[in-house]
Amino acid sequence: MGLEYVRISPGFEKYMPKDYVDLVQYGQFGKQIDVQQLGQFKELVEEHPMCAGCFMAYFIRIFYASLPKPEDTIVIGTAGCARLALSQAAVPFIYGNYGDTNAVASGLKRALSIRFPDKEKDVVVIAGDGGLMDIGFGMTMHSWFRREKFTTIMVDNEVYGNTGGQESGMTPKGVQLKMAPKGKQFDKINAAELAKVSGCVYVAKLAPTNPKRIAKTVRRAILAARHFGPTFIHAYTSCNIEYSIPTEKVLEDARKREKQDFGFYEWMTDEVKEFFEEIEKGQEVKA
Amino acid sequence: MYYVADVDEKNCAKYNCKQCVLFCPEPNTLMYHDSKHVAWVNYSRCKGCAICVYVCSDLLKRNCIQMVMMTAGE
Ligand SMILES: Cc1ncc(C[n+]2csc(CCOP(=O)(O)OP(=O)(O)O)c2C)c(N)n1
Ligand code: SF4
Ligand code: SF4
Ligand code: SF4
Ligand SMILES: [Mg+2]
Repeated sequence: MGLEYVRISPGFEKYMPKDYVDLVQYGQFGKQIDVQQLGQFKELVEEHPMCAGCFMAYFIRIFYASLPKPEDTIVIGTAGCARLALSQAAVPFIYGNYGDTNAVASGLKRALSIRFPDKEKDVVVIAGDGGLMDIGFGMTMHSWFRREKFTTIMVDNEVYGNTGGQESGMTPKGVQLKMAPKGKQFDKINAAELAKVSGCVYVAKLAPTNPKRIAKTVRRAILAARHFGPTFIHAYTSCNIEYSIPTEKVLEDARKREKQDFGFYEWMTDEVKEFFEEIEKGQEVKA
Repeated sequence: MYYVADVDEKNCAKYNCKQCVLFCPEPNTLMYHDSKHVAWVNYSRCKGCAICVYVCSDLLKRNCIQMVMMTAGE
């Protein structure tokens, strides 16, 4: 897209849907929004059909509020729950075939660099644990081996949520699911460690308990991908339906998992560290 | 009939807080009033998860949000 495509041509304001006018006048385009302003500006996702209390939906809400340049971003998703919200956003969305997201993103990012050599275009994949670590595993790994410059965000609900509860490689050992009645037999894949040894320049792992920290992490992952190489965020985003978490306890569950195995983790190469030290100098970046 | 969150504005106004707004999974739903400094709910969009109640009552002990029954169209 680009800012010039978002703006409404003078005189046409009254013919545009109100939601769109609000988006342009009170939204994020062309501005750097602070996530703490949520509730006081028009969000990029108008509404979505994800379940009540879904923390994947929550993470996606914070993700959009964190984008450094929404008007120059393309999001790639696939089958799985996340795309239900991603496809509703006022940010171009490409539906990669299940498992193919990181191959599609690789091609897209390369094409954008050729077509717009002087512009910064951010590409972000958001897909599930099944999409990235099981069925799309080969594509995910090869985008990292090849140092493709885009961000991959795994919204890990530790299950195939959209298809009714099959176990994934990210399901913790021993967990019983509707279609894993004997309990998962193997350990949860250590995705962050894989990312680190496979070529990612920035890797983070988090539970969505602190919106400011999510925002900082998303921004860092996108900026590092813009300049240096592949970046990866592993986010715990519970599925209250398949894990039978009462909706009012979803945040409590995230806080519990943060203390157990989803403590905030962030790793980056020295080069990336220096870059952030430089650009974040003087900014209030503590989360 | 369905459940929605409802903010006790008078009570909320004491705190200049906004924490619940930052944890709702729904966009453009739990809003914050710029000048009144209170949270408010767009009832037609609230899905009734009560995460905001957990934030306000369980975490902050401020008890300014309640779940209430509503009839469509109200
Ligand atoms: C090639 C292909 N295989 C299988 C499917 C069926 N399918 C749709 S969603 C899904 C699982 C989703 O699990 P995950 O990626 O973890 O996302 P979640 O729904 O849990 O967010 C599967 C297997 C498909 N759409 N395409
Ligand atoms: S099935 Fe689970 S992950 Fe999917 S929208 Fe519902 S709660 Fe969220
Ligand atoms: S958490 Fe409670 S006190 Fe704080 S803004 Fe929300 S309703 Fe008001
Ligand atoms: S009940 Fe859930 S959807 Fe409704 S305002 Fe509270 S957090 Fe948002
Ligand atoms: Mg999943």
